[in-house]
Amino acid sequence: MIVLDKNGEKLNLMPLNVGPSHPATHGCLRFMAAMDGETIVASVEEIGYLHRGFEKMVERGTWQQVVPYTDRLNYCSAIMNNIAYCRAVETMFGIELPERTKVLRVIVNELSRINDHFVCVAAAFQDLGGTTPFMYAFNPREEIMCIWEKLTGARLTNSFARIGGLYRDSYEGFESDVLAALDSTEKALKDLHACLDRNRIFLDRTVGIGKISAEKAISYGWTGPCLRACGVASDLRKDEPYYDYETYDWEVVVGTQGDCNDRLQVRLAEIEESVKIVRQALKRLAPGPVDIVDPRIRVPAHKLAYQDMEGLIGRFKSVYEGIRVPEGEYYSGSECANGELGFTIISDGSGHPYRIKVRPPCLTQFAAFHDLVEGGQLADSMAVLSGLNIIAGELDR
Amino acid sequence: MSAENIFSTLEEKFGAKRETLDKWGVTAVVSGAYLRNVVQFLKDSTEEKFDMLVDIAGIDYLTYPNHEGPRFAVSYAFKSIKTPGARIRLKVLVGEDSLKVPTISDLYANANWYEREVYDQFGIVFEGHPDLRRLLNHVEFVGHPLRKDYPAQKRQWLSTNDYLLPELEKRLETLGYKVIQRSKEVEPNDDEFLEGSVKA
Repeated sequence: MIVLDKNGEKLNLMPLNVGPSHPATHGCLRFMAAMDGETIVASVEEIGYLHRGFEKMVERGTWQQVVPYTDRLNYCSAIMNNIAYCRAVETMFGIELPERTKVLRVIVNELSRINDHFVCVAAAFQDLGGTTPFMYAFNPREEIMCIWEKLTGARLTNSFARIGGLYRDSYEGFESDVLAALDSTEKALKDLHACLDRNRIFLDRTVGIGKISAEKAISYGWTGPCLRACGVASDLRKDEPYYDYETYDWEVVVGTQGDCNDRLQVRLAEIEESVKIVRQALKRLAPGPVDIVDPRIRVPAHKLAYQDMEGLIGRFKSVYEGIRVPEGEYYSGSECANGELGFTIISDGSGHPYRIKVRPPCLTQFAAFHDLVEGGQLADSMAVLSGLNIIAGELDR
Repeated sequence: MSAENIFSTLEEKFGAKRETLDKWGVTAVVSGAYLRNVVQFLKDSTEEKFDMLVDIAGIDYLTYPNHEGPRFAVSYAFKSIKTPGARIRLKVLVGEDSLKVPTISDLYANANWYEREVYDQFGIVFEGHPDLRRLLNHVEFVGHPLRKDYPAQKRQWLSTNDYLLPELEKRLETLGYKVIQRSKEVEPNDDEFLEGSVKA
């Protein structure tokens, strides 16, 4: 297409389609760019290739049956989504969780965050052509995945949290496994920093690329590490603390420039903070129950179904009818790996959700994509994309 | 200023009503005519400066037990970055006959996509929106899937993806460029469109 620019100069632009299945678009994202040589003049995005109708599907099941669906939102840190959803429903019930559950949830939350950030940084470096840091990051990630296997029976879609408790208590040797994973995480961080911090190629590809100002990021509704990379110290774990996050000793990490490099470095620094939190949480992990005792909310233990009439009734009713969440409307946001994962929940007091609206952190970040890539080179758009950590599962729901 | 105080100001100035269903936070039900004024007020004149639009959710009350009043609602969640922890929600009720809400996409950048999503899923039209297209469903999709009367099992045959060239031209024009010669591919004919691939 031929266009006139602001000075009346004639430009011959080439429309270029990128995606939906491009190796660097991790999932199905598509954008159309008007190219002037190698420079992107304008860009428009299309999403929805992975739209499964999450919000329609959950209306057909019970409240507990939503948990496996939430796994498929951000599949790099599935347990965090489970916990965010369960926390929203628990707040509507007004449940106070047992101490051990809170601590265990903090531990798996932060291990998931480490996992998610490692995947993001590793994939970003992979997209820029470096395979070594990918392996550095995936070694500790594999150890955490092995913990997930032992703890939940699944590697990717764990479904570990339950409304009013957890799927099960931790296994014997959990603490030592976690400590070993933390040690290799710290080692990998050292290796990664050695690889990235003074790497000329990496810095040239990421510093000053995809820059956004704090005001603009806020107006776009950015949250999580991407917003903090712009220098805004906003973290729900500090601002609206839950699970006693405020009592742990850790810092909110902020960047300065809001560019691609900052977004990746903030993630690496957040891994360090998560390691600190998990170490403290392990010390607090005291024996105790993990489920609340209320057959109307948390299904009674399996063995009770065979020994106890009440247990049998409790299991039967909560499986067939679903738990009855109090009537009302509530919005709950939790700090997940990519930012604020929010659930707007409308309950009509029955055993099925009337409406659940997910607020995925990725959506707001991808909505700003054209602002980040316009004026840059085509190759930079891939660096920007991987720095934002767009997960199509939660973007498209 | 706490959320309660903000609500009483909204009640005084804009005739907002408290949503009794929200027992865990503050939700103000405002009329569509005042929505933009209320949002502007929250953004500029409150002490917290609600500078972030967190979410826009559409709601269909068709099968809600004992529901009276308009069938649809659009619910807005705001939070403040300046005052951490400050949140407020707004709700606009939308009748089935009008299906119109004023846009706030010029006040918050992310409202653009959120409003497109609500339009896509519920068919609620945001007046003044610059580019009200479907967001998650395909261009050829018929109907609005999150309405309660849309059957969950219904299948539709969809053959093509969004044809982004007209949108790209629009974007170039907002950036100050003037398109003087369009690409040959810009306007596909119907046969090609249905085949799912467009040849130059």
